Amino acid sequence: MVLETFHAVNFAEWIGPAAKVWLIAVVALLVGFALLRWLFAVLRQGPAAGTLSALNFLWAAAADLLLISPRRTLALAGLTIKESMRRRVVIVFAVFLILVAFAGWFLDPGSNQPARLYLSFVLTTTSYLVLLLAVFLSALSLPADIRNHTIHTVVTKPVRPSEIVLGRVLGFAAVGTVLLGLMAAISYVFVLRGLDHKHDFSAAAREQLAVMWRDARRNDSTQGIAVSTDRVQNHRHTVFFDPAQETVDEQGVRRGAIRTDTENGHEHEIQYVVPAEGEVQFVCSPPENHLLARVPIYGKLRFKDRAGKDADKGVNVGDEWTYRSYIQGGSLAAAIWTFENLRDDQFPDGLPVEMTLGVFRTHKGDIEKGVPGSLSVRNPATGDEAHVRTFASREFQTDLQVIPLEFQTGDGRTINLFRDMVADGKLEVWLRCVAPQQYFGAGQADLYLRARDASFALNFVKGFAGIWLQMVMITGFGVLFSTFLSGPIAILATGGALLGGLFSDFLYQLSQHKVFGGGPIEAMIRLVTQQNVVTELPPTAQTTVAKMLDKAAEQWMWLIWHMLPDFRVLSFSDHVAYGFDISWGLLAMAVCQTLAYVGPAFVLGYVFLKSRELAQ
Amino acid sequence: MNPRRLLLRKMIYVGLMIPLVLLLAVLGMPAAPGAKGAPGSPGGVLARLREQHELSPTTLGDIDPTSETLKLATLGLRGVASTILWEKANNYKAKKDWTNLAATLEQLSKFQPNFVSVWRFQSWNLSYNVSVEFDDYRDRYHWVIRGLHYLDKGIRYNRNEAILVWDSAYFVQHKIGRSDERVQFRRLFKQDDDFHGSRPMARRDSWLVAKERFEDCLEVVDRGGRMRGSPLLYRSNPAMAQMGYAEAIEKEGTFGEVARREWKQAGDEWHAFGALDLPRTGSESTIRLNDYEPRQEERKALAAQLDELEPGLRQRLRDEKLAALTDEQRKALDTPPEKRSTRQMDLAAQAEASIQVGHQEQARRIRGENRKKALELAKQIDLIDDELHSLRSSRGIVNFEYWRLRAAFEQEADTVDAREAVYRGQQALAETDLVAAKRLYEAGLLKWRQVLDRYPQLLADENTRSITADDLGEVIDEYRRVLKLLDEPFPDPFILQDVLEHYQPSI
Repeated sequence: MVLETFHAVNFAEWIGPAAKVWLIAVVALLVGFALLRWLFAVLRQGPAAGTLSALNFLWAAAADLLLISPRRTLALAGLTIKESMRRRVVIVFAVFLILVAFAGWFLDPGSNQPARLYLSFVLTTTSYLVLLLAVFLSALSLPADIRNHTIHTVVTKPVRPSEIVLGRVLGFAAVGTVLLGLMAAISYVFVLRGLDHKHDFSAAAREQLAVMWRDARRNDSTQGIAVSTDRVQNHRHTVFFDPAQETVDEQGVRRGAIRTDTENGHEHEIQYVVPAEGEVQFVCSPPENHLLARVPIYGKLRFKDRAGKDADKGVNVGDEWTYRSYIQGGSLAAAIWTFENLRDDQFPDGLPVEMTLGVFRTHKGDIEKGVPGSLSVRNPATGDEAHVRTFASREFQTDLQVIPLEFQTGDGRTINLFRDMVADGKLEVWLRCVAPQQYFGAGQADLYLRARDASFALNFVKGFAGIWLQMVMITGFGVLFSTFLSGPIAILATGGALLGGLFSDFLYQLSQHKVFGGGPIEAMIRLVTQQNVVTELPPTAQTTVAKMLDKAAEQWMWLIWHMLPDFRVLSFSDHVAYGFDISWGLLAMAVCQTLAYVGPAFVLGYVFLKSRELAQ
Repeated sequence: MNPRRLLLRKMIYVGLMIPLVLLLAVLGMPAAPGAKGAPGSPGGVLARLREQHELSPTTLGDIDPTSETLKLATLGLRGVASTILWEKANNYKAKKDWTNLAATLEQLSKFQPNFVSVWRFQSWNLSYNVSVEFDDYRDRYHWVIRGLHYLDKGIRYNRNEAILVWDSAYFVQHKIGRSDERVQFRRLFKQDDDFHGSRPMARRDSWLVAKERFEDCLEVVDRGGRMRGSPLLYRSNPAMAQMGYAEAIEKEGTFGEVARREWKQAGDEWHAFGALDLPRTGSESTIRLNDYEPRQEERKALAAQLDELEPGLRQRLRDEKLAALTDEQRKALDTPPEKRSTRQMDLAAQAEASIQVGHQEQARRIRGENRKKALELAKQIDLIDDELHSLRSSRGIVNFEYWRLRAAFEQEADTVDAREAVYRGQQALAETDLVAAKRLYEAGLLKWRQVLDRYPQLLADENTRSITADDLGEVIDEYRRVLKLLDEPFPDPFILQDVLEHYQPSI
């Protein structure tokens, strides 16, 4: 899995500084708001009465926020759920069902990684549908009630405005939760069914095997043969049948169980029975090892250049995408990952190093063989290095190399991995390309320790939990905007927050003047005058004005970028699709970030609602 | 508004709607097939226009229900959706996300199933650009085949687009048969059940599949399908693929009667190609590449007839022109070409051009009763000259003479034996059996001498000479290496010295 903006997740280290920043921001916001309220009251009522009114407001607000009645809030939430049902939320579910029912038409199970494709589809579709639903439900509800005066049936009852706001958030979140739960269950079945298939053997392959087994009956030392399965979902597997691995009973019936090779990200187990006479029975298992939840331990990547000196990056071999840096073969260049907090009890069977490398050849070399690379471990404290093994690369394939707990080096030393190489839980893994003039490319997340495999089903649920958090956050924003904006404007504002959150990286790039084609005004000029994004605009007064306006817009965008949540932090689609476990730390971070936005949104929503005449 | 006016207004609306609906029904009536072979209804005006301009999806190829649904589901925003998908595809390619790239291309093809450029561009993308991103040749093969399958799908939806069939043939020929990884690709392709139909394992070959697909392409063209490019080139493809097949099996160690038979087949197909009527550039008429030699003979006979009408006239005209030359031009012409200065070369060239006697000029000088016949003969010669010019140019484009010669001499037992001896020599060299290698190379070179003596054209024509020299030069280099390893001198005189004189080893 590619992690372009990599940061190691450690919830315990993250929460302290993050909470501090959040508290400062929230306190500043509340104090600012209180001051404004006071100023407004003083201007309207004079210093003494204004101050008193402001204090009254704060006092009432504190009471409204602290003395929320769960019973009334739940009752309001129940009303919100009923209202949602009236608004036919079930349509969204129907759309989802239709999409899933016809997804098989345009999802290709013959893709080289079908599991990734199917998982990406269900997660993305669910996410878009649920978020859209959240935007419309949450932003339209209050304004519609206010417009129809139905809100008066509630505000005339002994309920606090805070309960109205919280009830709405909880009600919509509950509706979304039920929908999301149903969608998750259907998606899970859809993925399993969509990927399910079995293979058989063609008549020609069966004939070849029959000849082999005939020979095996006559001669014990008959060699095995590799045959291909039939093509199902656009792929075949190669299976190696070896008579020496089969069991033979007294009646001469041979039995065997073998695994196919890995194709399209999965493998099968084939069990077979060869009777002395008659047809061979093959039983092929459903696809295996394609729905994973690897638990990776990431290290920190650094490089050495060809002369063995420290370098920020490796070589760029001309790729437009600079995620991977390349190290030159047959030189002192190396890519080094430093791992921390390693304990021997975590790895009882050796250190499983999993890597996905890029390979760049400057000459053809031996086409039949991968470019040789070497893997070493180094003690960061002593600098002692031990070569583990040489391997042949397979580009874009996930290659697992297990470093034994005890191994012999080329110079005859016996290395105990944790005793000799790990210092204070730290270990360096050195990757080098052995072949001169060839290159290996590596990015931060390309090499990691596969600590263990977690449950895929649980990971799938965690993936949907990410969508749930996004939905809750959008509901919070929607309810907030609906307390002081009319319906369509609230939808625009909530949709804008959603888009800004989804494309926060683009917003940042735009605010930093890093996007080709300039800011919004310049882009509009280019669009109208049909100019491409890289040519300089003519140095006219019009251009100068456009650039000045863009500069101002960039400041705004920078501010908005800071204020909006980054929805990518809450999206775990790639983790699920690429088969990586969503750690509890990552999930906890996402929960905290959601609460960090939903909490203030609730308070602000309450304040805005309370300021309106209808709630007083 | 009172109810009466309301009713009136409704009636007016209905009155207007009925003829509009009837008109629409007449215009838009769909075509219907006839029962049991009987001619069906051609449908309304719109259906007929669709059929006429090949706009109906049914006339273009198979209909994909997914594609139609998606097109409808975009509610007229298909262009926007396609643009986004193209952008996404480019992004996925840049970020080497092959799974999503392939998925996006599938979606793209659903939005634009009858847009030939999508199939052509993106299949090339998969087979050529994506495949080379992988280091392992098996992965590369996988993506080459993905591109081919993508193209095959495009062919199903666009059965009149011969260019797509041609592309698929070219991919098989070029990517499987000629790329750097051809040895590995051809091996994998032979095992791939998807491409060979009922052909026995021994006849499973990428070149034969390419040939079959080139023939399919011609079939589409012949039934009125659309094709881009020159017929001269695409009609030569099946025979060229047969040549490629014969060449490839020899490179992989198949000789004897099998190789001779395949080369004979290639020669026959090349001859059949030469007998085809091909459009002549800048003219409505056609030419046949095989006609060059007969036309030359015809021209010679006509020129002789013209000369006979007034014997000696041609020489007289030439003498007159010679006399009209300046002293400087005459001096330049008299100077042997190798001793001419630069200015003299120019002058000699001008002089040569000005002393040429044209047939029209010759005919116009004939007086009396033969004049009419002379002018007629001159006109015929000019027409033949034009045709010969077109033939020379067309034959040059496909290297017609070389391949005709190649197919002819490759069928010879001596050529096949020569190639077999060299092949076995290469095997011996690879196994470092230098003595056997030397013996086999020498046997091969001796056979090549015999072939060259029987086919002197191989070293006579400039174009053919360089190809022959390159082909044999590499063998001579290998032989030289064997001798060097054996510490023996290179023979002098060498049996293929004439080849060596034209061979320029690559760096």
